[in-house]
Parts: sequence; C-alpha cells; structure tokens
Amino acid sequence: MSAKSPGPRRRRRLAAVTSLIMAVLLCTLGAAAASADPPADNRACLRCHGMATLAYRDGITGNLIDLSIDPGRLAGSVHGKVACVKCHAQGYRDYPHPQDARREQLDCVGCHREAHERISYPFEAIAGQFAKSIHATGDDPKLRGFGCHSCHDPHAFRVSTVGKPLGEIVMDDNAVCLSCHAQVTDPLSDRHRWLPKREAHWAAVRCIECHTPIAVGGDGAQRVSHQILAGKESNSTCVNCHSGSQRLLSRLYAYRSQEDLARDGLFGKAVFNEAYVVGLSRSPLIDRLSLAFIGVTALGLMAHGLGRYLAYRRSRGKQP
Amino acid sequence: MTKVLSKLRKHATRRVLRFTAMVLIVLVLAYQFLYPPLFDAYVGKSNALLTYANSQTLSEREFEALARDLSRQARYTKAAASVGADQAPLARQVKIEMLMNTPSLIRDSEPRHIDYFREAGIRRYEGPQTCLGCHPRMKARGDDGHLRTVDTLDNLVNSIHFKFQTDTGGFSTYGYDGRRVNAPGSHRIPVGKIDRACGIPGSFSWTGWAALVASRPAGATGPVTLRSEGCGQCHIGGNYQPPTEKMMPVGDVPYEVKDGIDCLICHSTDYDMNQRYVIRDAHGLRWNQDRSMRAALSVGPARNDHCLRCHQHNMGGDAYPHNQAAQALGTENKRILHQGAKRGNPFSPEDDVHAAAAIQCTDCHVPDGHRLPRGRQGVDLVANDLPNREVSCQTCHTQTPHNNSPDRALLNGHVARLACETCHIKVLQDKNVVLRDWVHPTWNPEEGIFEPTDIYRSGAPGKGFTFLWFNGNGSFLANALGNNPNGTTDYDPLMQQMVHIRDPEVIAAVRAAAIELKARYPEIDIEAYVRAATDPLSQLSPALLERRRAMIDQNLRPVMALGKSRIYPFKLFNAMMYEDMGNQGPFGAMILPFDYPVYYETGDSRAAVVQAVRDPIVKRMYQRPFKLYMMDDFMSYFGVSGGWKTNYPLVNGKLVNVEPHWMRQMGTLTINHGIQGKGRECRECHALDGIMDFAGLGYPPERVAELRDPDQLKSAALSKTGDAARAKTPSVPGSEQSPK
Repeated sequence: MSAKSPGPRRRRRLAAVTSLIMAVLLCTLGAAAASADPPADNRACLRCHGMATLAYRDGITGNLIDLSIDPGRLAGSVHGKVACVKCHAQGYRDYPHPQDARREQLDCVGCHREAHERISYPFEAIAGQFAKSIHATGDDPKLRGFGCHSCHDPHAFRVSTVGKPLGEIVMDDNAVCLSCHAQVTDPLSDRHRWLPKREAHWAAVRCIECHTPIAVGGDGAQRVSHQILAGKESNSTCVNCHSGSQRLLSRLYAYRSQEDLARDGLFGKAVFNEAYVVGLSRSPLIDRLSLAFIGVTALGLMAHGLGRYLAYRRSRGKQP
Repeated sequence: MTKVLSKLRKHATRRVLRFTAMVLIVLVLAYQFLYPPLFDAYVGKSNALLTYANSQTLSEREFEALARDLSRQARYTKAAASVGADQAPLARQVKIEMLMNTPSLIRDSEPRHIDYFREAGIRRYEGPQTCLGCHPRMKARGDDGHLRTVDTLDNLVNSIHFKFQTDTGGFSTYGYDGRRVNAPGSHRIPVGKIDRACGIPGSFSWTGWAALVASRPAGATGPVTLRSEGCGQCHIGGNYQPPTEKMMPVGDVPYEVKDGIDCLICHSTDYDMNQRYVIRDAHGLRWNQDRSMRAALSVGPARNDHCLRCHQHNMGGDAYPHNQAAQALGTENKRILHQGAKRGNPFSPEDDVHAAAAIQCTDCHVPDGHRLPRGRQGVDLVANDLPNREVSCQTCHTQTPHNNSPDRALLNGHVARLACETCHIKVLQDKNVVLRDWVHPTWNPEEGIFEPTDIYRSGAPGKGFTFLWFNGNGSFLANALGNNPNGTTDYDPLMQQMVHIRDPEVIAAVRAAAIELKARYPEIDIEAYVRAATDPLSQLSPALLERRRAMIDQNLRPVMALGKSRIYPFKLFNAMMYEDMGNQGPFGAMILPFDYPVYYETGDSRAAVVQAVRDPIVKRMYQRPFKLYMMDDFMSYFGVSGGWKTNYPLVNGKLVNVEPHWMRQMGTLTINHGIQGKGRECRECHALDGIMDFAGLGYPPERVAELRDPDQLKSAALSKTGDAARAKTPSVPGSEQSPK
C-alpha cells in the first residue's frame, strides 16, 4: 500500500465509488424529476411538516409515527422537485386533515409503473420480489400495511448517497432494518450469536447480503433482490462469501473491488488484496507485516545460501 | 578508582535524599502551621471550632423515649396514607393502629438509624464526625455508570454545595470578550456563586455571610429585636465565613470548617429549621444548626422537602405560601424573609406537576456521590459539579411528550423550536421581582427594617418574564444566548429585549413607584428615574454604546449561533446598585456590596456600601495579588477592557468614583420548575395580541403575519396547480398516479 495519507486516497475512492454507482443506477433517472426549483406549494405543507419533531405515538401500538420531513433532505432526494400535492392529492388543505385523506396508501410501483419515461428501474421485478418477501407473506400483525415506504422514505430517498464510505453506506442501510428489528442488536439477545465476529460483520456487511436470495434475477441492473428472507431461510454458509466465488463482491463491494483495481492496478491489487474472502486480515498493517516477514525470510534464506557457498569456497581454498 | 567513584555516588545520593526529605518536611510543616494563620491574616477572618447548644447527650431513657416517638410518628404517617378517610373515625383509627404494628410496615417505615444508633451506643450527635464514624467512604456512580468508592468527606468538601465556586471548566458561560469561562487552556479563575456579580442578594458571600440586624418593629424608637441575615443560611459550610480556602490554588479547608458541615439539613427528615439562625459567640457571628438527636435519628437520602429548605427560596420565594422553611424562621434571632422572589416558579405539590407526582429532585438531578448536576444549560455563572450530566425534560418525556391531545403531532412538532417550559410555565408568582432599587430603601414597619425597594414585581408573561432564543449558553451577567435558526441577525436581545421595557403598564407602574419614592427621596427626578429603569442603555456614553455594539457583534454573535437554539421563558431582572465606575465597561461596572446591618437598620445605602467596602477581603480585592490571580480575567469576561483597576473606592471614609446605576441590561434567569400539566393554548401565542413577540425573535414580517394568524396557519394557501391536481385525482388508496 502506498504511503499516501488516507484523506485524499479515501476521497478518490469515494469519488470512484460514487461515480460507479451513479453510472450504473443514477443515469437511468428520467428527465421529469430534473430541472425547476422545489414547487412553491410545498412551503405551505412544510410549514408544519418541516417541524423536525412533528410526530406522535400511535394510540394502540405506541409506535412512533414520524410526520416530519426534512426540507433539506426532501430537496436533495429524487422526489425533490415533485410538488407534495402530486402524490398527496386528497384534501390536505386544512388542518386538521380529514380522516379519509389520512388513509391514503401510496407505493412506488403505483406511480412508476406507467411512467417509464421517468425511470427504467425494474419496479415490476421488485414488486414481484417483494410479493415473495417475508415482509409481504408473514402473518405477524405488525406487518399489516407494510409497503415500500416502510423501508424507503420517499421524502429522502436517493439512489446513492454521494460521497459516503462503504462503511457508512452499510450502516445507513442497516439502520433501515434496525429501525424495526432493534432487538437484533440487543447485547443480551442470542440472535446472530452463531455468527463469528458478529459486530465486525454488522459493521461491514449489509443485512440484506445474507437475508436475500443469492440469485437476484435476470436483470443485471439489480444487485440485490427485494425478496427479504426469513431468518431460517437466510444464508448462513460462510463460504458463500469467504471463498473464491465471493458473493459479496458481486454486490455492494463490487464497487470497491473495481475501484481498487482502478487505483492499484492489477498487480497492486493482487499483492495488496485486502479482500476478506480468503481469510486475509483486511488490515493494511498486517498485510505489510506479512510481506515484510516473507521478504525477511527470503533474505535470510539467501544469506544462508551465500554463507554456505562462501564457506564452501574457503574450505576448498584451504585444501591443498 | 571505581570503588572511590561508587562511594562518592552513594554519598551524593544519600545527601540528595536527605535534602529532599528535609525540604518536604519543611513544606509540610509550613503548610500545617504557617499557611493557615497567613491565610487568615490575608482574608482578615479566621475559623474556630464550633459548638452547638442543641448537640446534647441523651440518657438511655431519653433515647428510648425519642426513638419510640420517632418510630410512632413514621409508622403513623405510613399507615394513615393507606387507610381511606371515608369511614367512621374510630374504625379508621383502629385500622391505622393495627397496620402500625405489622412487622412489614415497621420494617419499611421506622427510621433505620434508631437501631443503628442504639447498637453503636451513639447518644449524642456531634456533627460530621458522627456520620463519618460509619460512613467514611461511600459509593458514587460516575458518568460511566460504574459504582466507585469515594472518601465521603473529601467528596462533599469538593462539591459545589460546599464550596459554591470552581476553577475548573464546565461553564456554559461566555464572557463579553467572547471567551468561554475557564475554557481549556485559559487561565482558570475560581468563579461561581461565591463571587459572581448579582443584584438580587445585593452582597457578596464574603461580606454578607452572617449578620445580626437590630430591627424595630414597634417603630424607630421602639425596642430592638435581633434578626438573622446572610448567605450562610443556605450554605452548608458553616463557619464564620464562606469556605474561601477552596478558592486558593493550594490547600484544603481546615478541620474546624469540615467539622461545621451541616449534614442533617440535607439528610434529616426531622430537621428543625427553627434552629437555623445567626448566633454571636466569643469568636464572631455564625449560623446555628440543628444537631439534635431527633434530627440525627431521622436521617436518610435527601428528599424533596430537604432540598427545598434552601431551594424554595430561589424558586417559589420566601413569601411563597407553601415554603415550609419560611414558616420556621428561628426560635430566636428570626431570619429575615425576602419578600421579592428570585424566580417565582415554585416546586411544590400545589404548583408543580412533578412534585405532585412525588418525583424527587434527585430523580432528575441524579447525583454522583455528593456532586449534583445542574444540567448542561446554565445561563448564569453558577458552578456545576457535573457539567456533562444531562438534566432535561426529554430524558423522561422523549421528543414526543404529548399523547392526550388531538393536536398531539402538532404539539410535538413545536418541541423542535420551543422548550417545554415555554408552554408549561404559564405564570410566575406575583412576587417575582423584576426591578429592585437597592439605592433607595423603604421602611418596612412590620419588620422594623429598611428593605430594598422592589419598584416592579410581576409574574405575568411579557412583564415578569419573556421568551428568548437559548442554545444553553449564557453571558457573564446572565443573559441568555441563542439565535433564530434562520441565521439572520434580526434577533438582537442585548440591544432589544434585555434593555428596553416598552410595556406601558410596566412603565406606568415604575413611574408610580418613582413618585412614591420621591416622597422620601426628594432628589429623585421622576422622568430620569423611569428612563434609567426602563431603558438602562441610556446610562451609557455614546462611545461605550458603540463599543457595546461592536462587542456583541464580534464576541457574542458567534456564541449565539452555536448549537440548536430553542425558545425558552426567562425571568427578567435588573437592580440599581452602587458601582465602582473605575471598572466600567459597556455591559456594566463592578457592583459594590452592602453591609446588611447598616443597610437594614439605618436605610443609608451609601453608608452600608462604605461599611462593606471596609471588609478586609474587599481591600484585598483592590490589591495586586488578587488582580493578577483572578480579577484581570474576571473583568475581561465582564467586558471591561484594560484589566482590573485597583483604585480602592474608599478614600478617607468617602466613596470615590462610585455611582448608583442600573445594570446596563436585564439579567435573564432560567425558569424550569413550577411546571403545569396543561400547557398553553395555541391562541396565547398565535394571535394578534399573543404573548410571543415573533418580530423581536427575528422572524421576517411575512412569517410573523402567518404566526400571528391561526386561520392562516390552519389552512394551506395552495396555488391553482395544486388545486387542479387535486381535483383531477381520484382518491383511490393504493394506486397513486401523477396527472400529466
């Protein structure tokens, strides 16, 4: 690994990751969501919904219902240029909003199915995958009303987050799951106890890497399926990731691998391969120490050979 | 050769060791025997071992009688609480008696120290040494959540309750020079309540620790009744002076000071506040304590009524009807009640929802041993034992505290911009003092003393308190700092809200008070008086005003922009006092203290200042060591440039360069108690005549119009396109589409 400071290097890596993700995904965004400032009407809605703490606890479940919308994140999201009333078109003019308006159900596919000029992302395929997902098929009463927006906040959704290290992407992604499955990280709980280095996995791997089927489907644009698997059906085979045919490298880490190649070249990557797949440490320090150890061993061997050769010559010279 | 060398080396080492030991012994001896008298000579006061008349040895019979009495009392209270009142009195009495003798109730309610003292043979309470006999060490829970064992006395002596100042960091106070008080890397000075400039008490704890005042309730020529006054009534370090030793960079308080600590005022259920009065003995004046066995036998963890013995004074006030301590003023030399309340926000079951729910002070102010957290948001210069420990509503109530109202989401929405107190403290006590004139005292015929004249008291919003942006930081003279999150500079409290009283009702009341004062002080010019009281900036020269503007913009603006500001209610306060004009800056001048007896007895406020300034510690304050040790920094924080001027203001018995002035801006004190369960109605703020000055808070005109009009707020002004989109869209749940 080079002696460059981590700062610029990381930034370059980020830029590379970002551009790759953008190239694969973001370029497909349609023109409809581009240009023009946020609609003026949104201000009227954000007067209340822009309050950072606009929320309440559901009277029956006690769950927090967050009604607040961060105006900054909304503006930066893929829907930032869409007027609120385009989606929420049912009589929200007055406060308090009428009961029937509150019952509206919106999902991504409903809007995006017919509007192919807007985006060519495979929403239909996703809908199919989701239909098989544990979130759609489970019989837990908590799953009532589960939809796209249970995970994807339409008011903050971005195809990729610009300028984020993979670790942060992993954390943000997992935070979506953990917002409901908080008990998973309960230190007193036994869940995932079987997983060696549990915390390290959680910090570096997205939940969905294991909790979705290995085969995504035909569409190359999609790296991970929306069919979330139940715990017992999920991947628990180490070698699916820790092997030559690395499962992870075809997903989020694909961007990392390609970026490593771009940065270090084929040889550099071969020598300094930080991949965790074959049991390497992922620690640059240990990588270097191992290399140094090999080098010293080689030098020792050479010195030994040279010594023996010289001793041999001296003993021959002494002999008459 | 080597032998000689090693011998020499050994010799040298021995000499060094011997020399070091000698130096150490000399230092220890000097510290033990030389330092205390030198220190006493410097501050001009000395300590002495204290004795208390009520610290008596009980005979076995007396002990058992007291034990039976206390046990009965505790068991009765507990039993009576669980027997309903809706029955025949005899039936109730019989049930209570039965309950009182059940083993479980005895176990749960009988004071535990009865048995402990009985077994240990303790028949006399001798102060801290009795407590420390069994509690030399205690468990304390630090910020990391782990229990550790600490030395009890050491833990207490270094707590703010004992020393009421600190030279460590942790202040949320910023000087007018823009520096955070005692920030890391700065020259740290001891500051806190012991030496902060404050117009409410009118005195320093150094000059006003314990005083006996000759009152004449029957008239100026009538018989004299002695009354107690002074800061020591509420501070647990009970000697002849505040524990000034702790302000020095080295040294500890001497044994006799530690022996004077009043453990029981915080820990005893049966502490008799009637024992808390000033006594004069051969050594001087000091505060008496209750060191009776009755108090000692009823000790336990500090509970609300224990804390409130002192703290109701600064919350509800002395004149608050439910202030229990104010009902027990002393069996002799009764304490003087302060009529004007410092905050007027009582913590009592009658006026606070948390007190009514029997929530204990320490439930929110969770202690670490004897160190208590004040919360991270302090507007004034009061020291804080645990500056990193949070004390806030949110800890329990979360960010979604409203569950009852149909508007609960909207109410919760306000949490981002409003503190809970803004809606849930609707009024303060009427006696909340806003403007206090120390310079022109008024005779109180009932008490027979001259008192400072409170020319305006009010507990009403906009009058006794106002609403300000607050990010948790305060200025050196207790001004809330913060800014409208819109980031503009339209919010300008130190040139607006804190320096102008514009309410015509308040101005009229001030004028009426001035007219009344003029009857006794003919030199008062009524218009000038009203102007100075309601527009204190008028006392500043144009040059100082300009400098003030520049210092606010350069030094305070950046602090105001820190963090996340929310709107909090703040009690307003200003006082007219004598000031040392040699140490004046754009925010005020050094306040001079009053001598309590001279002030209360003669009503000659100037003579009272003369007497107080004669105090040795004030003389020291005007000398070079004090200047270098702390006053230069103190003045820099105060906004006075050029350091502390050491021109002693008393020359030949006359005050020189001393003038009466109002502080140049009102102080703003946080109010966090007196919480009402039901908050304000929307229209109290969102109306044309609402209590919230949205324009003053830095909102632009169009937003102000919107905020003052509930109808506008409740109805979104959607444009035509929005309407059109709405009209065209059928409301079919589940299939959302966008009309093109």
